[in-house]
Amino acid sequence: MLDPAADLASSIPAEIARLPRGLGGVALTLLGVGAVLLSMVLAVQIGVAEVQFSDLLRIVATRLGIDVEPLGRMRESLIWDLRVPRILAAALVGAALAICGAVLQAMTGNALADPYLLGISGGASTGAVFVVILGFGGGTLLSTGAFIGAMVVLAILLLLLRKGGGTPLKLVLTGVIIGQFFSAVTSLVVMAAGDAEATRGITYWLLGSLATARWTPVLLLSILTIGGGLVVWAHAHVLDAMSFGSDTAQTMGVNVSRSRLILLVVCALMTAVAVAMVGAIGFVGLIIPHAARLISGPLHVTLIPFSALLGAILLIWTDALARTILAPQEIPVGVFTALIGVPLFLLLLRRRGDL
Amino acid sequence: MQAFKSKYRLSIAFVAATCFASVSWAGTVTVESCGMDVTVRAPASAIVTLDQASTETMLGLGGAPRMAGTAYLKTQVAPQYKEAWESVPLLTKGRPTAEIVRVVEPDLLVAYSGFFYSDQWVGSREELKELGVGTYISAVSCPLADQPDLNSFDLLARDFENLGRLSGQEAEAQKVIAAQNDAIEAASKLRLTRDEPIKVLWLYSVFEGTPYVAGGPSIPGAISNIAGVENVFGDVNEQWPGVSWEAIADREPDIIVLGDLSERGSPGDTVEEKIAMLTTEPGVSFLDAVTKEQFISVPGIEMDPSIRSVNTLNLFVKGLKRLGYAE
Repeated sequence: MLDPAADLASSIPAEIARLPRGLGGVALTLLGVGAVLLSMVLAVQIGVAEVQFSDLLRIVATRLGIDVEPLGRMRESLIWDLRVPRILAAALVGAALAICGAVLQAMTGNALADPYLLGISGGASTGAVFVVILGFGGGTLLSTGAFIGAMVVLAILLLLLRKGGGTPLKLVLTGVIIGQFFSAVTSLVVMAAGDAEATRGITYWLLGSLATARWTPVLLLSILTIGGGLVVWAHAHVLDAMSFGSDTAQTMGVNVSRSRLILLVVCALMTAVAVAMVGAIGFVGLIIPHAARLISGPLHVTLIPFSALLGAILLIWTDALARTILAPQEIPVGVFTALIGVPLFLLLLRRRGDL
Repeated sequence: MQAFKSKYRLSIAFVAATCFASVSWAGTVTVESCGMDVTVRAPASAIVTLDQASTETMLGLGGAPRMAGTAYLKTQVAPQYKEAWESVPLLTKGRPTAEIVRVVEPDLLVAYSGFFYSDQWVGSREELKELGVGTYISAVSCPLADQPDLNSFDLLARDFENLGRLSGQEAEAQKVIAAQNDAIEAASKLRLTRDEPIKVLWLYSVFEGTPYVAGGPSIPGAISNIAGVENVFGDVNEQWPGVSWEAIADREPDIIVLGDLSERGSPGDTVEEKIAMLTTEPGVSFLDAVTKEQFISVPGIEMDPSIRSVNTLNLFVKGLKRLGYAE
């Protein structure tokens, strides 16, 4: 169970707590944003191909019509069509998953909740295998199939939860059950219809990989993440109230079922687009809200933006790691978020005094 | 004004030139590959082969000087291509990705199957076309619906011809096709010692308890037709379907061809391990083919469609003669 009072006591170092609240918050936020931008600039230069920051500047200048010597077509494509969308996708997916992780943890009152609790990733993987294995080819069709699968899950979820809103227990159970069902369907399709190589291809996607990020889905994801993030942020006080339990929230005057619906749909959409583009990258939604809580405190008005920033930084760097550690091979980033996430999680538990 | 006029004239000339570009002019080659026209400035000079079959085919056509990279190696390259192979940079032993491929600035990519051209691998065909990179897929992966009687070897010949044209190695391609046709003709003249159909099981590998065998549209399927034997799973319309030991026992093959994947090194890849599996698996251990050791061993990699597939044909014919099914 989340314990807001204990979190408050243990998280903010005393010195910062004594600072006028506004100053500490603003400074940290600026630091966070700066860290994200710096990470992006550094990460774009990491990878199989050598990319200099000057190359990036030249591309931007060429596109703006400024008179500089353009890079070769292939090189420009490598940086502008592959690397840059990939870095942006890492930041956006990291932010989206972290925000939704925080939301789910508040809504279910469960410290182990993550965005995939809703079964979205199960539905997305089913949609994706239908497209890939049943022969409609990979490419953007995979993402479309995954998104449709995710939306089917959302529809089923809303249908099942229409009576009595989404009490935490019901939400968790329904999401888990639906997720398991669709995971089973995914396995069935893969076993029954897949030839060896197509199966291998879908396995990489299922593990979560940012290699598929391109400009169009990234732009879509940016609209959803920023828009959805703002909606969630506007509900910060509602989330605070929900952490105390839905009964308490209701007595505080929060329209619990309506807020739940809005937050559920927004998070489902954000998760669906993220998963459709890059597959199910685990641990980000689970760990980051807890890590962010240590810096920003448990109140969601600061927790949401900090989760977003930390999520972005984590995923940018784990992706950079995933594509360089065994270069020229690319390891799916989902593998590394787990490898890094587990020790971090244990550290966090220790910090909270739970271990 | 003067400058403007001459620029204008230049644009008209340019437009006229591009109108002519759609017609084949001395400078580009266009072939059709799996539903898309692949055009390269002839001959292609920076070819990247995305898998071992494509690599060996390209090397066998003498294309090494025009290759910019190879990828995805499953076994040792055949000894006759070893030297040529070493002269071409190996981009990665594992699966090729979009970045790896773009680094060497290719003008033509060759792969045996369309799934290489997805966002997860090297990028979609449309995306690469916009960059001026041709994407060739082996004809074996997209058999034409209107010409169903073309077997895998016919489609391979088509590949050799297309790739020969794209890389300026037409003469070599004709030699390779002729050699393949000779082998096929020799095999089709085989006299079998039995009147009833000889049933052959082509076993590629066993993965997690599931045997993977050759179906109808495959090289082993084509070999079976040429030699006049029956591929027991020839009715399955997949290249390498996963079946069950029961299904194999049910179809009672007379001969079992085993793919030797000893270089891949996964459990069960060597011929010895496969034989051990067959003799201990309750469903199939009683079959005559197993108890009388009617086995033919061929390199697993040569059961996939490539320039080496004709070796499988020759080995199979030799095996039939050795076991006494043909003379």
